[in-house]
Amino acid sequence: MSVRRFVLSVAAAALLVAPAVAGNKLILPGARIAVAKSTLTVQPASEWNRLGARPGRNAETWTLDGDALNDLTFYGGIESGKTLFRDTDRKNQPLPQVSATMLVTDIPALVENSYRIALGTASMSIGTVEPVAFAGGKGVRFTYAFTRQGETLRRRGEGRGAMIGGRLYLITYEAPALHYYDRSLAAARQVADSARL
Amino acid sequence: MRRWGIAAALACVAVPAQGWAADKVPPLPPYVAAYQPTNVDERGAWMMADEEERHLRDAADVIRDPALNAYVRGVLCRTVGEDRCNAVRLYILRVPAFNATMSANGTMTIWSGALLRLRSEAELGAVLGHEFGHFELRHTLSGFRNRRSGTDLMAWASILIANSSALQMSTIGGFYAFDRAQETSADMIGVRYLATSRYPSAAAADVWERIMGEADATAIGRHRKANQRYAAGFFATHPTSLARATYLRDAAQAIADGGSAEGNAYRAALAPWLPTFLADQVKLNDFGGSEFVLAQLAADGWTTPLLFARGELYRERGNPRDLVAAAGFYQQAIDRGDAPAEAYRGLGLALLRGQQAGPAGIALREYLRRKPDAADAPLITTLVAS
Amino acid sequence: MRRLVCAVIAAVVSAMLVAVPVQAQEKTGVKPGFELRPGTARIVLLRPSIKVGAQSTAGMFEPNADWTAQARENIDAALAQAQNSLGNTVTDYVEPVNADPAILSEYQALFDAVAQSVIEYQFFPGNRLPTKKRDGQFEWGLGGDVAKLPGLAGADYALFVTTEDHFGSTGRKVLQIFAALARVPVTAGVHKGFAGLVDLRTGELVWLNADMQMGGDVRESDGAQKRVRQLLEGFPGKPAAAPVTVASAH
Repeated sequence: MSVRRFVLSVAAAALLVAPAVAGNKLILPGARIAVAKSTLTVQPASEWNRLGARPGRNAETWTLDGDALNDLTFYGGIESGKTLFRDTDRKNQPLPQVSATMLVTDIPALVENSYRIALGTASMSIGTVEPVAFAGGKGVRFTYAFTRQGETLRRRGEGRGAMIGGRLYLITYEAPALHYYDRSLAAARQVADSARL
Repeated sequence: MRRWGIAAALACVAVPAQGWAADKVPPLPPYVAAYQPTNVDERGAWMMADEEERHLRDAADVIRDPALNAYVRGVLCRTVGEDRCNAVRLYILRVPAFNATMSANGTMTIWSGALLRLRSEAELGAVLGHEFGHFELRHTLSGFRNRRSGTDLMAWASILIANSSALQMSTIGGFYAFDRAQETSADMIGVRYLATSRYPSAAAADVWERIMGEADATAIGRHRKANQRYAAGFFATHPTSLARATYLRDAAQAIADGGSAEGNAYRAALAPWLPTFLADQVKLNDFGGSEFVLAQLAADGWTTPLLFARGELYRERGNPRDLVAAAGFYQQAIDRGDAPAEAYRGLGLALLRGQQAGPAGIALREYLRRKPDAADAPLITTLVAS
Repeated sequence: MRRLVCAVIAAVVSAMLVAVPVQAQEKTGVKPGFELRPGTARIVLLRPSIKVGAQSTAGMFEPNADWTAQARENIDAALAQAQNSLGNTVTDYVEPVNADPAILSEYQALFDAVAQSVIEYQFFPGNRLPTKKRDGQFEWGLGGDVAKLPGLAGADYALFVTTEDHFGSTGRKVLQIFAALARVPVTAGVHKGFAGLVDLRTGELVWLNADMQMGGDVRESDGAQKRVRQLLEGFPGKPAAAPVTVASAH
């Protein structure tokens, strides 16, 4: 086999991995903007960064210091039959699906079970659960605690969601319990409070 | 001196178990306490295990309840004997899957999913004894070595050989087959522990027969085919449950020992944790598997925690017929007289989602009456009011 | 034919031994306006996180306890030496007997998360956050409660150190050459490290050195000294550096 054919055949067998360059964008305060490729809009009073990488088709994440330190995620109108974020192993560990008949009490349960399956442990627990107006509908606000897989750093979260028109609208804010959660809680809550459909 | 002991151990176990008569159970290999790693790879594995144990010490997943830990440790010691037991540090992890692990430096973990599925001290001893067998036979290390040379070969193949997929497949088979042999020998040494303990050695086979059933139930629940086969699938790190159940059953019959499995003592020790482990299982979104586990646990009758868990399971899946069935299970739990307040909550939510607002309101109000300081009381109040 | 193949391989090898096209590998971040004068502060060095092993042909990490133990010994010794010339007193952290180890490990985990975030979202191009791209800006921290950690009373700063080395095996290096022919990206070896100084009064990370391609073979004592020198390069408060003459091979 000639050198050229050798090189070509090896090159043909090689995988060309193009790096996924999805830029992170600055979100300026003041303007009302749509999030999560949906009709959900928010009006932040302070600046944020929007990550180029999305957790799911109708989801989007904002952060101040990086998603491991603060993570504000929007889910815009997840419809019946869809999951909260992408399945990593749909065959053996399918995530629970949204259902149009879900009650507000089912929203924290959906988040809890999705995280338990995605994290592979039972270390996700829901804390307080309260009624709240959200995006013009009767919603639920809930707190939770969890740990990422392979880590010991404890994390806390707060979610707000509602079922509107048979679709799930949800905003979650998560950060390490140590220092970071409290640091950006007010800013995150302001954004979630401003949510409208 | 140490090497002799281990070599003797390996020689003893290398012979596959074939019809042992009751009075000819081979004695357990002499156990050498305070084993220290002797070569580079082994020290590496121990070091990794030591660092991981630091993490385990601090991990959120660990169940630290002293009573449960003392009980599980007691079963381990009764199975493998005090000498061996002292070499082990045992951790119970809150992970809703059937598994137990052993690492090179004597750290053993058992997962809450295993504790949920086991039904007696003998079965627990079978699982813990199997894990200890890996430690005694120094399996962690050989598995690692074999895996390393296998993946090296694959990396080369992908570069040099255009059509390398065939080579890759058989190399994967290579190091998984190594794990299967290790699992078999750990099974056999586990049976021998049981044989020399006061527990019946048939318990080991019982475990695998049920695990097989559950795997089939999970597959069917997910609209896939049930596929428990005799020969291990290509990617199986463990011999298939059927193969294990078969050779373990054969070994136990040859030993023909008796003894009490201590099912009641086991259930009593698990009772405080049962509702938690059931809840963890239900939240896995595995309808078929969870139904199977519940039915197995209900072999001696449907108790209140089991009925409540079944209600939660059906309500979680949430199809219209499921909601009706769920309401029925919650009601049965309530009728037994010792149901927790959450049973009324579940009943109310199932009815509400099934468009029966009137009866739902009654149930939810009863929940609020019984548990006014519930975490979700304000939310439920809103639901009732609307 | 054979000579042609050898010539191709030789060309590839020599190409590789010249610059490997990777992004900027080393960065330092300093809180704007921060300065530390020699002889003014007490610094506590927390137990360094050290991991050393080999990288098999397939890229799998093989921990090596001998190497790690050697590295720990060497790095500890090099740090002990360097500690005395940092301009301020640097003492080793002593975990108090009754202290809850969980809270310290929580802070170490948080430091790792923060350092990784600095690297991912501020230091290196490719994934920077717009709010972290501004000139001269460096705002990171562990929170004001870090001073309440047991055993840190009386200290002004805490020094966190992490290094990780996966040495590429011969197999991996040769693979890299052949991979270059096939244009498959294969990197040999991982040598990363970071050192961070935290102001215990405010919890702010006032100084962070991160390097994804560190020099010095930590299994040898002079290599560990080089490594520690790189980790502590530009350490605040260090008196003007004495000329360094050790020229060890990378």
